[in-house]
Amino acid sequence: MTELAQYVASGLVVGAIYGLIAIGFTAVYNVTGIVNFAQGDFAMLGALGAIGLTAAGVPLAPAVVLAALAVGLAGVVIERVAIRPAGPDVLRGIIITIGVGVSLQGVAVLVWGTDAQPLPAFSGEKPIDLAGVTVPPQALWVVGTAAALMAGLYLFFARTYLGKAFRACAINAFAASLMGIPTSAIRALSFFVSGLVGAIAGIIVAPIALMQYDSGIFLGIKGFVACIIGGFGNPIGAALGGLALGLLEALATGYLSSGYKNAIAFVVLLAFLFARPGGILGELEGAKR
Amino acid sequence: MTRVALLAAALAAVYFSGSGYLVNLAVVTALFALPALGLSLLMGYTGQISLGHAAFVGLGAYASAILAKSLGLDPWLALALAVVATTAVAWGIGWLVFRLRGHHLAMATLAFGIIVHVATVEMKGLTGGQDGLSGIPPLSVFGLELGTDRAVFPLAWLACIAAILLAENLVRSPAGLTMRAVAENEAVAASFGIAPDALKRRIMAISGCYAALGGAIYGHYLGYISPGPFDVGFSIRLLLMVALGGFAGIWSVLFGVVFVVVTSELLKPFGRFDVVIYGVLLVVVMIYCPRGLLDGLGLAARALGRRLAGARAAE
Repeated sequence: MTELAQYVASGLVVGAIYGLIAIGFTAVYNVTGIVNFAQGDFAMLGALGAIGLTAAGVPLAPAVVLAALAVGLAGVVIERVAIRPAGPDVLRGIIITIGVGVSLQGVAVLVWGTDAQPLPAFSGEKPIDLAGVTVPPQALWVVGTAAALMAGLYLFFARTYLGKAFRACAINAFAASLMGIPTSAIRALSFFVSGLVGAIAGIIVAPIALMQYDSGIFLGIKGFVACIIGGFGNPIGAALGGLALGLLEALATGYLSSGYKNAIAFVVLLAFLFARPGGILGELEGAKR
Repeated sequence: MTRVALLAAALAAVYFSGSGYLVNLAVVTALFALPALGLSLLMGYTGQISLGHAAFVGLGAYASAILAKSLGLDPWLALALAVVATTAVAWGIGWLVFRLRGHHLAMATLAFGIIVHVATVEMKGLTGGQDGLSGIPPLSVFGLELGTDRAVFPLAWLACIAAILLAENLVRSPAGLTMRAVAENEAVAASFGIAPDALKRRIMAISGCYAALGGAIYGHYLGYISPGPFDVGFSIRLLLMVALGGFAGIWSVLFGVVFVVVTSELLKPFGRFDVVIYGVLLVVVMIYCPRGLLDGLGLAARALGRRLAGARAAE
């Protein structure tokens, strides 16, 4: 029983990260119709940025905030420079975001080299015992931050004026522009949100999992799988998809073998792509028709 | 045909220039051109994205090397078997992934590429893991071992020219028209009686065959393979070559391959800087020259010419 609880705990921690990255995917996809293949690299960049700032002597908290904001702004710049001029073509969008991801990885190699970098844990390394389940304190940070961020985003989308404009663009950008919503500003905002959320995901997981220039690819694919499970059009579904994937991975690692960990994500990806490409909660697309 | 003659003349000039460096670059170009041409048939002419093409190169290289080294088959037989097997795998993968399109297809092929890469790293008993396989027997013709740049040069380029001619033939044939119809609009193509999925699978198989041939020759020529060269980065470099060539265009894709090979040589002194250049190049080409670098430069030159002419007229 304790064993199971232990696996569930570690699965939820990893799943929270996948969920955050998945939310980044949906923020961009719903507004622009683009799947951002550089999403995982936002997480990598955020983590390495925070690591670089702390190494330069900046205290942890401002370093985290600065790195996350910087990646969010980088997202805005990327949207303006690379995404907007390319138009709505799917194939071009994919290849351009891949190009952006490769460039970000290249920059990361130039700045931080190819070695994995550690970030100090936010509140020490001493494991915490929760009713027989031991977790590192960072795990609580991960789950807490993810939950707070998801709740904050939910309130933003559901309650604020800007959030409503955002959702209007997601449902129908043309109609939204007729209602006076500045759609290109909302597109930029979607990239800011996705960069910010992605960077925070990368930063909070960095003390548990070492980060290096190519860590983004795997995080990106896991986030995409989470979106596939939960549905691309639906941020809540994507977050739940992330948790489900994290749990599946942790249980598979625990009961089968750690070698299967990455295979699980791909098996789930392929199974869902073939059986339910709309995800469990379905796409917003379905509701549109 | 004149293009092939020109290419042959250029190759002969390289071969007899006496420069080992140029011959080596030419061999590398030929071995990259095979998978790039295959990807162009799939992406450019049939409109189906693949982000896992390095996997087919790797499968061809590993299958041929293992058959020749562990089973002791004649390298030529191993090469033929490896290419046939990879072609079959590509057909089967096509059967799986072409139920998907757009973003989903891209992600599924990316996942396939990573699965194969991880498998080559993890299946240590068969592939030697990260250490790779060494001592792969070279191909030989009448007792002459094709293990050096100069020896493998004719084989690599004969294979490449054959691939070019076959691809040109395919593109010109009625099948080529159906490929472009499917790329343009699947529903319309289907309404003409074309079966899009069957066609895509067949092109995927041809594409995999090209990639495997390149990989198999590479393995026997170097005598050593490791998982490193067949990772996602290589898939993306193939994508860049095809994008620089404007996706659809056998000869312009060959130009894209030459461009990437030469650029990576020029960037070697700058260490890891090449990755940034590749990424930026991919973005710039996709935005400003969707029909390839040559076409984009041609357009820019003409626009510049017009502006100069306009300035002269204004004087």
